Amino acid sequence: MHSEQTSDSELVDKLRARDPDAIATLYDRYGCLVYSLFLKVTQDRTVAEDLVQELFLRVWNRGGNFDANKGTLGVWILSITRNFAIDHIRSAQARFQTRLRSIEQTDPLSFSYKPAEPERILDSERSVRQALSELTANQRRVLEMAYFEGFSQSEIAAKLQEPLGTVKSWMRSALIRLRSTVKAGVAG
Amino acid sequence: MTHPEMDELYELYLLGALEPEQAAEIDDHLRTQCSHCQEHLQGAAPVAASLSLLAESQEPPARLRSRVLESVNPKSRSRNWIFAVAGLSAACAALLIVALWTASAIRSSHARIAALQIERVQLEEAVEILSKSDTRAVQFGRAEEPHGRVFVNRNNGVVFVGSALPQLAAGRTFQLWLIPGQGAPESAGIFHPNAAGDFVQVRATPVDTSRIHAVAVSVEPAGGSPAPTTTPVLIVPLA
Repeated sequence: MHSEQTSDSELVDKLRARDPDAIATLYDRYGCLVYSLFLKVTQDRTVAEDLVQELFLRVWNRGGNFDANKGTLGVWILSITRNFAIDHIRSAQARFQTRLRSIEQTDPLSFSYKPAEPERILDSERSVRQALSELTANQRRVLEMAYFEGFSQSEIAAKLQEPLGTVKSWMRSALIRLRSTVKAGVAG
Repeated sequence: MTHPEMDELYELYLLGALEPEQAAEIDDHLRTQCSHCQEHLQGAAPVAASLSLLAESQEPPARLRSRVLESVNPKSRSRNWIFAVAGLSAACAALLIVALWTASAIRSSHARIAALQIERVQLEEAVEILSKSDTRAVQFGRAEEPHGRVFVNRNNGVVFVGSALPQLAAGRTFQLWLIPGQGAPESAGIFHPNAAGDFVQVRATPVDTSRIHAVAVSVEPAGGSPAPTTTPVLIVPLA
């Protein structure tokens, strides 16, 4: 297991130096989460493994351009992961190379935010999981449809045959709860 | 939209869950470099990312880590490539050996089949000669010496069968001769006894029994000779 203490800026430096140890560290940190997300979306272990490999290959090739002063590698990687997964299920083509958007297209704003303490996002994993577990079934369902299936609020409303206002309300209340948990984790 | 309204939408904006017109409005506003919205967008990103935890945690297969690392590590890939080439070379060499062995085995089998076909033809010819009522048999030799029988049929040929011929030196062969009363001996073919000295030689062509008075065996160079080059080791008079 690679050191959990390696900072994002150190990892970016290693990526720029083409040091494979950076990918080993990132895999050890996020590999399970990334794989779980791909598996949740694709429901196919083989495809999920392919996507994990492709994801880390892209991080390897593009991660050196990441500005660690403007965000965290973890959030950036999870953002790319989610969009890769959505691209996969939206694509009619079988091979993921043609499905994947470029990193710039995938996450155009990922370089512009700066949480107070970049390495803390996943440190709050337990409290986030706890918060998610306390959501109502409807709140959880609409968030899952948005996050894992890429549906808009109006699409979710149509699929659930619920009023759009109701879906927005479920989402808003769930996100308020989640925001406070994540911010508390970052601040704590 | 007002700032408080947009503040509630940045996670959904990042997830692409807004309606197109809402997303377009936020896009336009962000292009103004509004510091308030930049800050809230920064805060929304980890919230959106935290939704990944909605997925049940699944342990990836152990092989996936090495697969990922190999895909990004040229040195590792190079090593693997060398191993792959070495493995492929070894496989090719093994295949070549198998192919050569197989080819050799096939050639050996073909030779064996050809020999068996010759033996089968000779046996058929021998049976043809032995089954004729007008075939004459001549016995020769004694138990401790080369001995056997010569079967002669004027229309079908000669069968020469016997035992206890001496072992041949390397590069030598026995050759059977039909000896006329007058004139040069006629070759009746070359043959090699088995390890016990037993032998059968068939010459399936008509024999002018009025002219051929004896059969003889001489040792000749491998492949035989047009005429005897050594003193016969065996002479069997047919009269």
